[in-house]
Amino acid sequence: MKRIINILCLKLVFLLFILFSAPVFSAAAGSNLPVPDKLIYPPLQFNLPDAERLVLENGIVLYILEDHELPLVTINALIKTGTMYDPLGKEGVAELTTYVMKTGGTQKLSSTEIDNQFDFIAASPSLTANLDSAQVNFSFLNKDIDQGLELLSQILITPAFEQNKFDLAKGLKNEELRRLKDDPQKLAVREFNRIIYRDNSRGRFASRQSLKNIEREDLIKFHGQFFQPQNFMFAITGDITREEAVNKISRYFGSWKSDRNSISPSLPPQNSNNGLFYINKEIPQSTIISGQLSPGKNHPDFYAFTVLDFIVGSGGFPSRIFSAVRNNEGLAYSAGSFYRARYDHGVFAAYAFTKTESTFQTLSLINSVLDNVQSGTITANEIEWAKKSINNGFIFSFTSPEQIAWQQMKREYDMLPPDFLSTYRNKIESMKVDDLNKIAAKYLNIKNNSTLILGDTKKFGQSLTNIGQPVLIIPED
Amino acid sequence: MKQNKFLKIFFTLTFFFIIAGNSYSFDLEKKVVKTKLENGLTVLMLERHISPTVSLYIRHRVGAVDEVAGASGAAHLLEHMMFKGTTTIGTKNYAAEKNILEAIEKTGNALDKEKRKGEKADSQQILKLKVKLKQLQTKHQKYFLPNAIDRLYTENGGLDLNASTGQDVTTYQVSLPSNKIELWARIESDRLMNPVFREFYTERDVVMEERRQRVETDPHGKLYEQFLNTAYKVHPYGRPILGWTQDMMYLSPASVKNIFKKYKAPESIVIAVVGDINPPETLKLIKRYFGGIPAGKIKTAVIPEEPGQAEERRVAVNFDANPMLLIGYHKPTAPAYDDYVLDVLETILTKGRTSRLYNLLVTEMGIAKSVSTSNGTPGTRYPNLFIISAEPRFPHTNAQLEEVILSEIEKIKTQPVSAAELAKAKNHLRMGYIKSLDSNSEIASILSYYEVLLGDYKYFANYLNVIDQVSINDLQNAVKLYFHKDNRTVAELNIKKKD
Repeated sequence: MKRIINILCLKLVFLLFILFSAPVFSAAAGSNLPVPDKLIYPPLQFNLPDAERLVLENGIVLYILEDHELPLVTINALIKTGTMYDPLGKEGVAELTTYVMKTGGTQKLSSTEIDNQFDFIAASPSLTANLDSAQVNFSFLNKDIDQGLELLSQILITPAFEQNKFDLAKGLKNEELRRLKDDPQKLAVREFNRIIYRDNSRGRFASRQSLKNIEREDLIKFHGQFFQPQNFMFAITGDITREEAVNKISRYFGSWKSDRNSISPSLPPQNSNNGLFYINKEIPQSTIISGQLSPGKNHPDFYAFTVLDFIVGSGGFPSRIFSAVRNNEGLAYSAGSFYRARYDHGVFAAYAFTKTESTFQTLSLINSVLDNVQSGTITANEIEWAKKSINNGFIFSFTSPEQIAWQQMKREYDMLPPDFLSTYRNKIESMKVDDLNKIAAKYLNIKNNSTLILGDTKKFGQSLTNIGQPVLIIPED
Repeated sequence: MKQNKFLKIFFTLTFFFIIAGNSYSFDLEKKVVKTKLENGLTVLMLERHISPTVSLYIRHRVGAVDEVAGASGAAHLLEHMMFKGTTTIGTKNYAAEKNILEAIEKTGNALDKEKRKGEKADSQQILKLKVKLKQLQTKHQKYFLPNAIDRLYTENGGLDLNASTGQDVTTYQVSLPSNKIELWARIESDRLMNPVFREFYTERDVVMEERRQRVETDPHGKLYEQFLNTAYKVHPYGRPILGWTQDMMYLSPASVKNIFKKYKAPESIVIAVVGDINPPETLKLIKRYFGGIPAGKIKTAVIPEEPGQAEERRVAVNFDANPMLLIGYHKPTAPAYDDYVLDVLETILTKGRTSRLYNLLVTEMGIAKSVSTSNGTPGTRYPNLFIISAEPRFPHTNAQLEEVILSEIEKIKTQPVSAAELAKAKNHLRMGYIKSLDSNSEIASILSYYEVLLGDYKYFANYLNVIDQVSINDLQNAVKLYFHKDNRTVAELNIKKKD
């Protein structure tokens, strides 16, 4: 259906090209080039495609979208859990649980047998724990569907957590933590999150100390608590019919009975912790991250903040921080802002990586951009550019059946309204200069920012007077 | 660093052809429309109507290897300068701008010349020139619109607008809603014919920051740079793509223009368009915009061959970071038969949890955090390297890893790999390929890369027949031939002790 529409549309597309483009431009003579802003484009047909949704008796939510271009079947899953549910003092349990579920064998097969079987079908699921979810991504050839699902269901439902594989996983995680300090950006991001999420379960991270407190039994307990059918959403896409998808998922996951109640969600974080923080590392470039909490996806200010963030620093070259720091001053290769919106809160921050000598020059430039935006200087042109960019790029979130089903599943996981995706562009489009200026005034006060600078602190020079005394952080291993 | 990715794609692609004819009806050769324009430019098109989007790649067979000595980093800086607009994009008044830009270049050159004198430089003169340069730059700002190319693409829904410079190839890429191909044609053809290198000296500073970010503060970046510089003593593969600091500091507009001249030869340009298109109409559009580039061939300077290595080379990098090991062996590039053989070896050694080195070092012995291999670094145009990289797990050391890795390699020389291992490796390569066919941009990337480097994307079809023949004996012979001590370069990252 979708396909037919596109083909029809294409005919129109090229007809229009000829009608409109040919007369305004002949040969390759420079002077005759059409003005890029005045090019006329044929209409683009884009209907938000729909995956089918159904719920199994045991509570598993299933999204299905067929696509037979390639002989591949893809299964993605979201599971209601996450690192924010790590037991206090045992940070790292969620990550170790997912890792050892995959590598530690099952009640029927040893870890070696599992490894061999996955490698033989040249497919291997990734099973990872994020802040507020766990995630499965698994693609295999359609001929291997039974073997793939059998293995997947075993590692999800009946993992064995073999002791030696648990020890290995802990050892590897320990090594990863040792090495985190070698990467300035990774270290800075983790410590920035720790500052932003202080006093919240989201601000706790695995450390070499917390790993010592974790035993195999902690993983078994964590698995039992969260890996329950009612916490699962699957999106199955690709070279499989709807009927087969329902049958297969029912066969491998349908008899899985739940024995726990749902989990109570963790409280959203509160803004509390502004100030200037330093991490010392003797390298010639500083990493600067400065930001605060911001609206979540379920908040009415979400749309305005999305447009605002685009203008401030995530919209590439023309965005304000990028232009000021990179283009005008040549102070950084990477500079801008990010807005990470989750269902109940968001994090906004500006960042730049600049040579040690220009650390404070860059920070004050960023602050002056934020101050300026907060004082109500967003222009109609900027809004138009940002809205067009966001809305014209929207289709790129739906370029494959896998992405389409994923977007719909994620919408439900984040408890967003059913029309979230279909109304998204209209809501972005409705933003006016006034809305943006109001939001900027409300959320961009740099006095509320937590600012982290990682670098050769002794060579930074005089601290900026208006951001207070720095607090030196010594990151735990 | 991008090359590794291509290599993976490369081999998976070839494997796809095996199954393409048999099990699946996805026949790339029948779907790709290849056209050579009169001026020599090659266009590859492939229809995919999964979504109303299109991915567009332009690749030039010009890269860092084409730089002259002393101007390392020029190809990469040029790539940055290509985003600064054209005579009709990003200007308010080009005629007025032109004069200022000439004055900026003259002043910048004079400033660089003075600075290069080092201790003998006249500090008064430097200050004077700096002030003058700043004044001219401020004056110039009145006449141009910064970031015009980015703005045009972004507000029209452009995604993944980017460019990359490799040793062999430079690439400009973007994905757009499929009704906006003309915007791409308008911008890209114009920046090939009429680019304006605005904000040169500021961008040079940006690239210096890029080097600090990727090399000076990144232990792995630093190790990789020193490793290649040790493995290649004569050939330009030994130079970093970003350039050496002392060269980059003084890169001139002339050195960048010098590389740009090579870009313009249509013979060395490949365009790939993949997505929701109608090929005849798309081709018409491309001809209209790109057909006017005058035909011409690049005068490629003679690039010196790397002489055969006569003894083991070692280099150590000290850094405030945990240890890492790189081992490399010189070997021929595609289409040499052994290059295919070593791709299979790459998979056998480190692809998947049951691969030889991963299973032994990470799972069984527990002495490594990671181990990986890559056949074909750092490029494809000239003989390259097979690299093994590994990170030890504390308290284990680089030396321990090296010993085990080398003894595993020796083992292959005496005990052939099993038929099951060979079959498993082929399954992995096939799977990787099919996955890579799932996105417009990846397909466009693959098609244009091999077309521009090997002269024909179909090369893979033939290549596949060759790889199908790869036998257990071939693997053993290749390991015997290339994996010996005298042909080896070892680079170690060691912890720098704090005082």
